Amino acid sequence: MMSIKSKILTALGAAVVLGGAAVFYVAESAPAEVVLPDNVSEVTQSGATMQVLTNGVLSTVSAADTRGPRHLTNRKCDRAYTSAGTVVCLLPVDALVGTKLVVLDNKLTERKTVPLTGFPNRLKVSGSGRMVSWTVFLDGHSYATTGFSTQTGILDTQSGTVVHSLEEFAPTVDGRPYKAADINFWGVTFASDDNRFYATMSTGGKRYLVQGDFARKTVRTLTTNVECPSLSPDGKRIAYKSAIDADPKKGWRLSVMDLSTLRSTPLAETHSVDDQAIWLDNATVGYGLQRDDGTNDVWSVPADGPGQPKLLIEGANSPSPPA
Amino acid sequence: MGFPNGHNRTGKGFDMPSRRARRTTRVAVAAAGALSVTAAVLVAVASAPEAAAAATTFTPVADTYVDNSATGTNYGTSGQLGVDNSPVKRIFLRFTVSGLSASVTNAKLRLHTDDVSGSNSPAGGTARVLSDNTWSETGTTWSNQPAVDGATLTSLGAVNRNAWYELDVTSAITGNGTFSLAVTSTNSDGADYDSRESGSTTAPQLVVTTNATTTTTPPTTNQPSADPVLVGAGDISDSGSGDTATAALLDNIPGTVFTAGDNVYDNGTASEFNTYYNPTWGRHKARTKPSPGNHDYNTSNASGYFGYFGSLAGPANRGYYSYDLGNWHIVSLDSEITKSAGSPQEQWLRADLAASTKPCTLAYWHKPRWTSGSNHAPDTTATPLVQALYDYNAEVIVTGHNHQYERFAPMNPSGTADSARGLREFVAGMGGAGFYGFGTIQPNSEARNNNTHGVLKFTLHANSYDWQFVPEAGKTYADSGTGNCH
Repeated sequence: MMSIKSKILTALGAAVVLGGAAVFYVAESAPAEVVLPDNVSEVTQSGATMQVLTNGVLSTVSAADTRGPRHLTNRKCDRAYTSAGTVVCLLPVDALVGTKLVVLDNKLTERKTVPLTGFPNRLKVSGSGRMVSWTVFLDGHSYATTGFSTQTGILDTQSGTVVHSLEEFAPTVDGRPYKAADINFWGVTFASDDNRFYATMSTGGKRYLVQGDFARKTVRTLTTNVECPSLSPDGKRIAYKSAIDADPKKGWRLSVMDLSTLRSTPLAETHSVDDQAIWLDNATVGYGLQRDDGTNDVWSVPADGPGQPKLLIEGANSPSPPA
Repeated sequence: MGFPNGHNRTGKGFDMPSRRARRTTRVAVAAAGALSVTAAVLVAVASAPEAAAAATTFTPVADTYVDNSATGTNYGTSGQLGVDNSPVKRIFLRFTVSGLSASVTNAKLRLHTDDVSGSNSPAGGTARVLSDNTWSETGTTWSNQPAVDGATLTSLGAVNRNAWYELDVTSAITGNGTFSLAVTSTNSDGADYDSRESGSTTAPQLVVTTNATTTTTPPTTNQPSADPVLVGAGDISDSGSGDTATAALLDNIPGTVFTAGDNVYDNGTASEFNTYYNPTWGRHKARTKPSPGNHDYNTSNASGYFGYFGSLAGPANRGYYSYDLGNWHIVSLDSEITKSAGSPQEQWLRADLAASTKPCTLAYWHKPRWTSGSNHAPDTTATPLVQALYDYNAEVIVTGHNHQYERFAPMNPSGTADSARGLREFVAGMGGAGFYGFGTIQPNSEARNNNTHGVLKFTLHANSYDWQFVPEAGKTYADSGTGNCH
């Protein structure tokens, strides 16, 4: 039989959906009998869900009950994201086969694939579901080392345009056109117009926050020591990782920057966060953290500074905002 | 636990994993309750009895259930565990038993029924054994559930709501180690128990009783033993201090020292060997049997490596060699040169293993055939070497490359668990270099750590081996166990 708790949850959910004046005879001391037919078997995740990876398996969990039943698909990804019905997945790499970007619809039907070279790292979809951006490592595997190199690309799912590397774009550093062989990009986030974007650009030992223009193929620097920006739903702030003492070898503090003032606020998470954070809402940032045994968990932390991190989804990483 | 607040099960009993809260609690529990073999014994209602006795209680390190009416759904983080035959629900529990110093005389699985209507059942389920200890709490579903392939233990009769029940699982709990149990039911009116997420007062328990309360002195590393010791790690010396910490461990561990490649960073130059390796692990050079890694080969032909180790590294400029320790044949291989079937190295290995008269075999090289590390994918090109070792019934493979520690269950060359003839692979990349992250945890991975430098010590018995992760000073990560020769 179906677990009684699930039944009650389902009953509550149904009552809410129906908007009826249901009366619940439930209390700590004397739980009510809530009897549902046995054919209510599958726990449906009505309402908002969050997509995550569960040890590399594309999964969803109820946003309202992130510790409730988790639906695991058959699809394996090293990094995943979803927004507005566009689901994207960077396939795992093995010794012989490289990764590729797979774009799926919300029924997980493949719509497009883009073969890539490198190790999957970052992946994001714009709020509209149109612009897909990714970062892979070409050389090295860690932002904390020297001598690594990344490749960051963008797919416009509407036009089909693929920018294989942001290094094709014309950069401006501190207002001046710039050229260098050591430029790397990572961690793109798109604004609501699906043209303006933010990303990290590294060159000459500095890691800049750049603002980009997809149509004009340009990027310009705004400030330094900003990595993996993630634009808030209201478009006013970015959550990002800030290298401690501007030295990635010391780890990163998850921070939020107001884009109008470029003023930064460190968040309450004191563990080093090496992730492109997400916004659960305009007040809350979500991110993955790995335990010493390799198990990942998704945490949330207030976006304004004070407060405490909360464990959101155990045994998961690569979260997407509730949808 | 709160009711019916299924939306908010935060709070008691749910620790914060990355905060490293320890899950195992030790509570003295009365061992006096008479146990019948197959019948349910109602021990107490609502809370665990406490009394002084020679029993240790463990809570699960993982528990979940699967449901064949929701085949792709995982319930690992929920507060309950369902067992049923319609739909079919099976409970999986994993316990890590440690700290026992005498043999087990009794082990009981204790389950607490949910304090909700419908948690009762005319048949509370049957405890069974499974050999797979690598199933994941948050990733196990009906579709990918581990096989319940072990013995059927005992069964419960009727269970009531909000009460404790015990299943005798003595035959499954053989001592210290990791054990997975399943609870299944043939009754279509199932039972619901509290999971470890429900809180410490209702979480499942494994109560293990040993035959003596006397303090048995466990064997220590200082205890003289006739059996040879092989100790070492890979990914060792750079400009940092990690290798200083691991070399200090070697100072107190006699025996033969192995290296699993990447002896020095970044380029394997003679200067790096002299500057970084020689002052630390170099103190033990005379008893070292190295193997080379990709960084050693950053200097052409690994000339820095061969120049520094000389004849200790086997025939000049070849890269692979073997030797014997007690009843063991030890093979040092070179993952940085061709290892394909028919290659000189693979042909040499087959001939070498064929000529060996020792009953047990251990091999080491740099790049792991199996790894969950995020920085380097598994090296499938090592398969011909693994196949040769498997064909000759070898026991252990030690590698490095990903800067972390990982231990796998014995597997055959295709990566399937094989308790009869499988090779147990270790990734011992914790010799000193900076740590790497983990990616997707691969099948049959049994232990992992990436915050503790250390060395891996093998004690090579006549027909078995003990492994022990020895952590750097100030750290506590531990992993040890025993395996038999095939």
